[in-house]
Amino acid sequence: MSLNAPVVAEAAPVRVAGSYRRMASLFFANRLAVTGLVILAVLLLFCFLGPLIHHTDQTHTNLTGATLAPGTQGHLLGTDDVGHDVLGRLMIGGQTSLEIGIAAGLLATLIGTIWGAVSGYAGGWVDAVMMRVVDAGIAIPALFLLLVTATILRPTVPVQILIIGCVSWLVPARLVRAEALSLRSRDYVQAMKAMGGSHHRAVLRHIIPNAIGTVVVNATFQVADAILLIAYVSFLGLGVPPPKTDWGGMLSKGISYTYDGYWWLIFPAGIAIVLVVCAFNAIGDGLRDSFEVRLEGR
Amino acid sequence: MTRFLAKRFGQAVVVIFFVTVIVFLLLHSVPGGPAHGILGPKASPQAIAEFNRVHGFDKSLLQQYWAYLDELFHGDLGQSYTLNQSVASLIGQRIPKTLVLTGMSTLLALVIAIPLGVWQARRRKGLTDYAVTTVVFVGYATPVFFLALVLVIVFTQKLPILPAQAPQTQSIAGLFADSRALILPVLAGTFATVAAFSRYMRSAVLDNLAEDYVRTARAKGASERRVVWLHIMRNSLTPIIAMLGYYLPVLFSGALVIESVFNYPGMGLLFWNAAQTSDYPILLGAVLVIALATVIGSLLADVLQAFVDPRVRGAIK
Amino acid sequence: MSGPALEIENLAVSFGRGRDTVRAVEGVSLAVAPGEVVAVVGESGSGKSVTSLSTLGLLPPTATTTGTVRVGGVDVMTLDGPGLRAVRGAEVAMVFQEPMTALNPAFTVGWQVAEALRLHIADLSKKQALDRAAELLEMVGIRDARRRLGQFPHELSGGLRQRVVIAMAIACEPKILIADEATTALDVTVQAEILDLLRDLRARFGMAMLVITHNMGVVADIADRVVVMYQGKVVEQAPVEDLFARPKADYTKRLLAAVPRLAPAEDRTRDASAEEALALENLTVEFRGGVRAVDDLSLTIAQGEILGLVGESGSGKSTVGRVAIGLLKPTSGTVRLLGEPLTGAKGRALRRLRRRCGIVFQDPASSLDPRMTVGDCVAEPLVINGVGDRTDRVVALLESVELDPAVRRRHPHELSGGQRQRVGIARALALDPRLVIADEPTSALDVSVQAAVLEMFLELQERLGFACLFITHDLAVVGRVSDRVAVMNAGRLVEAGPREEVLFSSREEYTRRLVTSAPVPDPVEQRRRREERHRL
Repeated sequence: MSLNAPVVAEAAPVRVAGSYRRMASLFFANRLAVTGLVILAVLLLFCFLGPLIHHTDQTHTNLTGATLAPGTQGHLLGTDDVGHDVLGRLMIGGQTSLEIGIAAGLLATLIGTIWGAVSGYAGGWVDAVMMRVVDAGIAIPALFLLLVTATILRPTVPVQILIIGCVSWLVPARLVRAEALSLRSRDYVQAMKAMGGSHHRAVLRHIIPNAIGTVVVNATFQVADAILLIAYVSFLGLGVPPPKTDWGGMLSKGISYTYDGYWWLIFPAGIAIVLVVCAFNAIGDGLRDSFEVRLEGR
Repeated sequence: MTRFLAKRFGQAVVVIFFVTVIVFLLLHSVPGGPAHGILGPKASPQAIAEFNRVHGFDKSLLQQYWAYLDELFHGDLGQSYTLNQSVASLIGQRIPKTLVLTGMSTLLALVIAIPLGVWQARRRKGLTDYAVTTVVFVGYATPVFFLALVLVIVFTQKLPILPAQAPQTQSIAGLFADSRALILPVLAGTFATVAAFSRYMRSAVLDNLAEDYVRTARAKGASERRVVWLHIMRNSLTPIIAMLGYYLPVLFSGALVIESVFNYPGMGLLFWNAAQTSDYPILLGAVLVIALATVIGSLLADVLQAFVDPRVRGAIK
Repeated sequence: MSGPALEIENLAVSFGRGRDTVRAVEGVSLAVAPGEVVAVVGESGSGKSVTSLSTLGLLPPTATTTGTVRVGGVDVMTLDGPGLRAVRGAEVAMVFQEPMTALNPAFTVGWQVAEALRLHIADLSKKQALDRAAELLEMVGIRDARRRLGQFPHELSGGLRQRVVIAMAIACEPKILIADEATTALDVTVQAEILDLLRDLRARFGMAMLVITHNMGVVADIADRVVVMYQGKVVEQAPVEDLFARPKADYTKRLLAAVPRLAPAEDRTRDASAEEALALENLTVEFRGGVRAVDDLSLTIAQGEILGLVGESGSGKSTVGRVAIGLLKPTSGTVRLLGEPLTGAKGRALRRLRRRCGIVFQDPASSLDPRMTVGDCVAEPLVINGVGDRTDRVVALLESVELDPAVRRRHPHELSGGQRQRVGIARALALDPRLVIADEPTSALDVSVQAAVLEMFLELQERLGFACLFITHDLAVVGRVSDRVAVMNAGRLVEAGPREEVLFSSREEYTRRLVTSAPVPDPVEQRRRREERHRL
């Protein structure tokens, strides 16, 4: 499980060297990261192009053809309890999981970065108040907050993105604030001030570009976490309503059938989640390693 | 020292204050107003009006918030309308069981993760090393419920040696009486956190390995084992405590999922059932209590760090 | 015992494999007799540290080593794990550069010194070890040793911590003590005391010592023989007086020529311009927690004059520099820049004043934004202040600091430390300032690079005629550069006056102690100064 905390703990200082080419070559030398990238690409193709090749009916139920084992009647992964083809469902579910996950992850990163940068650069009581708000948000476990909001609002896809984004921005805020705090006392920021530069320029031209490394790395972890989060929420029954679904929702259906041995209702979706989260984590680790530059002394 | 404690305590109070604001706002964003949230969706207009008047919901938002805070101080979290009990007593019943579950899995996770993380930090390339790293990596990415389902399938169906449901008692003693039924829930919780903890340990040890004092210890003639297990571990206590503090909210989230999969009679299950039935008093009361527990927990973690780390002690003086 | 304490024969160390191999050390041979002090001197990249680490087998696993390193007759290269551990600390001991991080912050001083003993002496009870630890602490000059045993490292100053490390090193009476830049991070007065201590220990124990340093003054102070290294090879070995008087190798000659010397010289004549560039009056800067970084300081700098501000760490000199350029607000007192008040200036007036000064920072690694090109860095002041014709100006600036203008398309990390400092100077001069604050501008550079950068800086000052507040801890540099010198101690101004007067005929005790503590690169002269210092 990777909701929030571990990413806070692993915030390593990330400095970006001026050469994108160098970073790219470091990244592509990392086999795990490249594997992650490949897996992600395959999954994206599978989910978004798959249905064009493998046509299945994902809206109408077909109770006579329910819970068929894999291989029967041309259903590669069998059918679920209302007759939907599982392979097709996996693709549709993947679309939802990935859409919400990526959008929510990016939204969380955007809000968190701005909040953290302002807080860290401002310092003083502004920083203290802004961080107490973040602490309060972090104190409430994300899942609990999500469930409460899910009972209040109708869980459509845009709403889910908004809610997850609004719950997840806290961690990037903390990270970016720590970066901003350390960056603002760097000599080159002081030099800029000495030559008459404004706060505005400091944040836009010096702080954010030098924090980009942390932000980008964290964004990948945020997406991974968002995908997990939406899976949890759907698993607990409060995700997008049918006939749409996502991987977590597929698993939640599957739980009622564990004792019937219908493994194809459980494993495909579960493995898909594990794969995509692993992929994003691997990419994030690879990005972090390639961003980290030890400036040579003398 | 007291200045530090006072400052930290003050911060915690501010945070709790913000939490109550958030919960209060949530209460007031329930469709139909808090009356609907508390009386239920089928309440009649008269009941609602009466309710509003009695509870002062016709007053200004600020006055309501004040009244809300007042109720909280008196330990009144409202009344559940599906279970006909006060929320406070419900939570009071359930929370010890959740603490037992999370306590046991956290302890077990620490016992496994600390040596594992240290081992990962010191690794030399090898097949076992790659295998372990992969397992940890995958464990980190696996949703708890999937893991729990797999455990259930493996241990109750394929090899039917463990019961699939947690002990269904009301008392703590009862939990331990049927201890075989505790194994799977605790195991699920442990696996989930071992991955995260060991990753953290690994980076803490790696950071320390690069420190100058390690070089000094080696130059004195200390063995590598001594350096890692005595010198580095002593310095890693503080980050571990900090990590536990950060991890509290996650632990509770995990408990929620595990309890719903295994039907474990704790806070998480209470919460989930309440989410299904839109029982807002329970939902909001639980959120508040858990947030409070988290804030207090991380305050304790900070204070503990201050006692354990001589540098923090010194800086405070 | 007979035979050398340390004997290195044909040592070669390389890192990495294949195309990326870096040869750090090649064909190095040297020997240290018992009771002898040998200094290994060189700049960064000379391989001196790698050589010393090889004696303890402390090189990283990526290193490939050939040759022999014999400690008391035993070849360290052939030893395995337990064998190496028996040698480390007991036969060879090492003291490293950074005292602030050398000790484990989680254990008491007494525990750590006792550990040094218990790792090698069997059957030593805890109490016996602690008793011996207290004795060792006293031997290294730590007063109140019993109380110190129970203290943690963070409670001790840098100098005290280094003494503790030395105590740990001599605990088992090793045959040879290696000091790798052991005094580089210390204040000059503390450095003098530590060097005295090392000399004392050598006399007492007859211990051999290998002193690694880049500071020729330290070499002149403590060494019997000197080994000069350059780019991984030994270029010259000689007894200390011979080396300084008659250097043979080209590199040695260049190195000795580049070292700034603290010696009376002709006073530079400057136009006694009455106009002030900078005036500080009753300046006090207090930080949170009641720490007074600057205490009631008054100072003036005339136009076109270079004032050298010296002090040790914690003296407040950097704080003064920052206040002078408006980066810090003083708690009380006034600052006047070129006749106009800086304190209390706001908005456009403040910006106008700021344009007329520039600042050069110490650390080449953090003074330039790693994400900007060199050209952008230099152009930034021009951009902020709306100056046109930027490209031409940037090219002109880079040329004036003796850099190829093509460098403007590169990024800071692609440049060496010396080149980065030149860029920093170019940036500071972009707006043609009347006052330049130079905060330790060459302290992080190699000796030879430092000399070149200082020369260039002085030439620019001569040509452009700006006033300069030159902040440094290095007295020789101050002597080279300044017209007038001001000395600070713990936030207060000790004295200020013409260079010759302050440096060579001061009546202030602190100044004299400071000046006599600074080692000069001349063994005979250094001995005389040492005696003078001991008399103080």
